[in-house]
Amino acid sequence: MGFLTTLLNLLFSQSWSWWAAGLGIGLTALGLAWFTGRRLGVTGGFEDALTAMESKSSPMNWKFWFILGIPLGSFLANIGHWNWTWLYGRLDAITYGNIYIKVLWLLVGGFLVGFGARWAGGCVSGNSIMGISTGNKMSLAVTLGFLVAGIIVTNLIFSFFKVM
Amino acid sequence: MALKKISGKTAMKKASSKKNSDSQTKRLPLLGFGALFGYFLSKSGATDYDTIINMFRPQNVHIDHSPAGLSFHLESLQLYGVIGVAIAVIALGLLLLESSGKTTRSGKPLDWEPLKWDTDRLMGSFIFGAGWALSGACPGTSLAQLGEGKCVALFTVIGILAGVWAYRKYRPKAVDKEQVC
Repeated sequence: MGFLTTLLNLLFSQSWSWWAAGLGIGLTALGLAWFTGRRLGVTGGFEDALTAMESKSSPMNWKFWFILGIPLGSFLANIGHWNWTWLYGRLDAITYGNIYIKVLWLLVGGFLVGFGARWAGGCVSGNSIMGISTGNKMSLAVTLGFLVAGIIVTNLIFSFFKVM
Repeated sequence: MALKKISGKTAMKKASSKKNSDSQTKRLPLLGFGALFGYFLSKSGATDYDTIINMFRPQNVHIDHSPAGLSFHLESLQLYGVIGVAIAVIALGLLLLESSGKTTRSGKPLDWEPLKWDTDRLMGSFIFGAGWALSGACPGTSLAQLGEGKCVALFTVIGILAGVWAYRKYRPKAVDKEQVC
């Protein structure tokens, strides 16, 4: 009983240590490559969804089906304590607990993510994980660009709003 | 009468599934791999705003020396560990697959095109990094956040769709460049 509870907690509610989660992500990418010949990547699925929205008859690309699975998996990972929430960590303090500011903030942030991901040729999955592990120099440079901008912007925001 | 209708429908379904059996048989495994990816993303902490912020603004990172030995306080850096392990596993796995002479189960080569060196990409990477810091999410984790029940992620997802759309609209010449995502 004790063992089963521990196992269920581990599978369906707790977070994992960095090495275990990293191993899982790595094996998923390898499995996708071995079984389907595809390169793990997410932003292309957004592109597919847009294309389908614009021309109603367009068939969905493989990547759309891949990204459709992502929320299913994260749902399962937390099913032990799953609930809807409007909270979002320390961003609630930055946006003074105002939901409209938070929504606007995330719309702007998301826009930059989408625009930047296409410009950079890929997002974290395509460049930082797959690109670097296949030894691509441009993907490494792009990843460093992600980090440099992320570090600067985060530190500007958190010093400006004086939130720890 | 009813039976006839049903059998007619299934016959039609069979015919249409034969027609695009190739695309249909592939959907379920793709959905499964997507689910695995979402599962591990969620387990890694990458879907948590505060964990993303810790990666860009590490706090309380130090190593304690005591007679009992060293104790490491590197929790803020966990996402670097996650990405590092993933990269190592994939690099090693692909090397092993290549040395075995067969990189995919079907024997076909991987459908991969690496990015060519192009400094224009760097501007995009800065924009992405700024967005990552603001939203605390990247395209993959925004979808994983939705599955976790984080309502606000819906707006990140809408923002990403708008950004992808705007890039196609305002830089149409650059859209044909290779993409790794």
